[in-house]
Amino acid sequence: MLTKLALAGVKNRRRDYLVLLAGLTMSAAIFYMFANLATNQAFIKANAVVQSASIVFGFGAVLLALITVVYIMYANSFLLSMRQHDYGLFMMLGAKRKRVGELVFLETLILGTVATVVGILLGILASKFLVGFLLDRLGLHLSHLVSFYLPAVLFTAVLYVGLFILASLFNLMRLMRTTVQNLLHADQQANQPKVRPVRQFIAGLLGLALVAVGYWAMAAIEQLKLTAIPLALVTITLGTYLIFHATVLAVIRGLRRTKWARKHLNGFLLGQLNFRVHDYTRMLTIVSLLFAMALGAITVGSGYHRQMPLVADSLGDYSVAIHNPNAQQKHWMGQLDLAHQATYTQKVVGQTTYYNAAELKRTPYQQQKYSNKTNATPKFYTESLAKFKKSGSQSMNFIVLNPNKLGDFKAPKIVSAAAFARLNGKTYTVTTLRVKHLANDLETLGKLSKSEQRRFPAPHDGSLVVGTYESYQMMNGVFGGLEFIGYFLGIAFLAMLASCLMFKILSGAPGDLRRYAMLNKIGVRRSLMRGGLAKEIGILFAIPGIMGIVDVLFGLQMFKPLMSAPMSPYLGIGTTFAIFIGLYVIYYLITLGLYLNLVMPSETLQD
Amino acid sequence: MTNAVVDVHNLEKTYGKAGERPYTALKGLNFSVAEGEFVGIMGASGSGKTTLLNMLSTLDTPTNGDVIVNGHDVTKMRGNQLADFRAQEVGFIFQDFNLLESLTAEENIGLPLALKGTASRVMDQAIHQVAETLSITDLLKKYPAQLSGGQKQRVAAARAIVHQPAILMGDEPTGALDSTSARELLDLLTTINQEQQMSVLLVTHDPFSASFCQRILFIKDGQIGSELRRDDQDRRTFYQQILTELGTFSE
Repeated sequence: MLTKLALAGVKNRRRDYLVLLAGLTMSAAIFYMFANLATNQAFIKANAVVQSASIVFGFGAVLLALITVVYIMYANSFLLSMRQHDYGLFMMLGAKRKRVGELVFLETLILGTVATVVGILLGILASKFLVGFLLDRLGLHLSHLVSFYLPAVLFTAVLYVGLFILASLFNLMRLMRTTVQNLLHADQQANQPKVRPVRQFIAGLLGLALVAVGYWAMAAIEQLKLTAIPLALVTITLGTYLIFHATVLAVIRGLRRTKWARKHLNGFLLGQLNFRVHDYTRMLTIVSLLFAMALGAITVGSGYHRQMPLVADSLGDYSVAIHNPNAQQKHWMGQLDLAHQATYTQKVVGQTTYYNAAELKRTPYQQQKYSNKTNATPKFYTESLAKFKKSGSQSMNFIVLNPNKLGDFKAPKIVSAAAFARLNGKTYTVTTLRVKHLANDLETLGKLSKSEQRRFPAPHDGSLVVGTYESYQMMNGVFGGLEFIGYFLGIAFLAMLASCLMFKILSGAPGDLRRYAMLNKIGVRRSLMRGGLAKEIGILFAIPGIMGIVDVLFGLQMFKPLMSAPMSPYLGIGTTFAIFIGLYVIYYLITLGLYLNLVMPSETLQD
Repeated sequence: MTNAVVDVHNLEKTYGKAGERPYTALKGLNFSVAEGEFVGIMGASGSGKTTLLNMLSTLDTPTNGDVIVNGHDVTKMRGNQLADFRAQEVGFIFQDFNLLESLTAEENIGLPLALKGTASRVMDQAIHQVAETLSITDLLKKYPAQLSGGQKQRVAAARAIVHQPAILMGDEPTGALDSTSARELLDLLTTINQEQQMSVLLVTHDPFSASFCQRILFIKDGQIGSELRRDDQDRRTFYQQILTELGTFSE
């Protein structure tokens, strides 16, 4: 009978349960996708790129697991808040505590298991499409990437079910300790936090100090190595919590005494915030961290994505070099947006490649001027023939124009036209092409490079890199893993942030529904109520957003060693931030819309 | 009746969407409340008491008929006009207090004034004055959760009259109170009615509460069934009269 009652209770709140289940399912799916990438040995071994980034992958998985723990605890408290009234009622009607405890335990566990199973299935599906799509967009081709990987399934299942067992036990304990009275009236209790100015001041200072330590740790990543990350994570989390704890309440209290608080609904807004400040500090901390991680990951990821072509443009003297171009290759060359093109005749005698001085005089070989300036557009220059013979012709860029890429080769020689004509060797022509922007011509350059490789093969180990296109491909490989993780984690964190706030909204809505109905009755204009809600939710979005942005600005220090000049983790972050904030604002508007729908009383009473 | 605060003509309310069997809650109701009058509306549950009060307070719209409160035809109002009307012309006391638990008693009482944009100093004065009338000055800094039912209802009453509305409406205000608190509240309402000449409209099914009124309208099946006047009787006699009336009325 009690089971039936409990099931009926679940049915009545199926919308809330659906949201909870959807959030947990999504979290499990994301975790599975990541675990799949991080633990799949065949995949890691087959991709040199990923191998170098495997530490980052492992770290990402740990981070994701930590966030998942926090997330599940949060979801669990939402579940409990949703059910405690019912459980209290059962006990009041005479159900045994033990029996109700069993119900709580089972309910949490069943919900968790369903979420895990569905989540893993969804993760497998998503791995198949989403990961492929992401990799494709990033121009990465990773082999041995399978969507179903048993160890990852087991790993996810064990972690999630384990966490849910813990959560069930936690719920059980909470329930056993709380009196029936408190269970029944938990949502009506005014939670008026006490103000202890000295204590709060100390907490605030401590928070600031902890956050400072965290920021320092991220900047000093080269000295601290990998310990910097957990250190920063712990100190910033604690510090942020303490800062919020100390300041939010004090600021609200301060504002409440002002005249501003006595106009329109401002007092009500402050009362609302003050009323639930404890829930909020915890949630704001989590959300600000998730915000920082999502923004940070996407910033770093897109930083690589954006800056790689920029770096590649200034990585060498030409984009591709084609030997003896055929009709097809000439056709492709015509499609390029060229900045410079030169064709030289080569004669190969033994291991030496000879060039015609007359030709080089007519079309001098353009070299890149190296500069230390960050973000400078690469400049190119030419040398007099005599000078070029000594310096320019000995540069790696020029040497690798040699058609015999497989065998040993010596430094090229430049001889007079007459001497060149007398030479007895195989004759080639080489056309060096430099495009204006590598990123714009990637496709055609790829075709050219591929056909050149087919006709003039180079060693398979990638030890010989000709032209900036190939350099770009190599770097894309090296950084691709990091970039991919950046996007992946960014999206994952944003999704979790979304559902965390969703839980907050749903757990707050029933109470607010009552409050706004009262305001409606005493004659508050609807526009005023809407404005008040927009402000309240806006503040809740703004606080973690601002904190998150500050976290990211400091956190990017971490990537300085990885992104050396002319790359910089701070380069062009404005656009990324703008896009991310845009997404965040859209999310705010959706949340507000949902909330207005839930909470705003109808124009006329219809009951 | 020239100076009527509330004037109701032919009020009808039918519930039910098109295609459903309609249910008529009010069938052509007529009555008025004079300025400074203390009127009670009684009836069994389902008789249409609450529907009537919702019409009067613009929380619901009538199907037919006119409701004129303090010179405003509330059936013609829309949107913000309705909200402003509720905020300025009507004071409410509900059975479940309807206090905002996130605000202190003082802030709760000040809310109708804050909505009007009253200056802070004027607001303080008004709050303290009304708090004194209702003897809740020492409760002002407390939150609703720290108050007893009777105290909460007194705070609610303070909020209902702080902005000097044209009429005070009560929907079973004593329903959730013990008998002592109920009597205190009713005495206060009587005082407010007499000293400030504020019209009071009380909806109740409790004969004791009703015995504080000057005139009682009995609603039955959506119409005014009968009317009782207290005139010069003392409250006890009037109470007996109400009981008798209820006895015959329900048959």
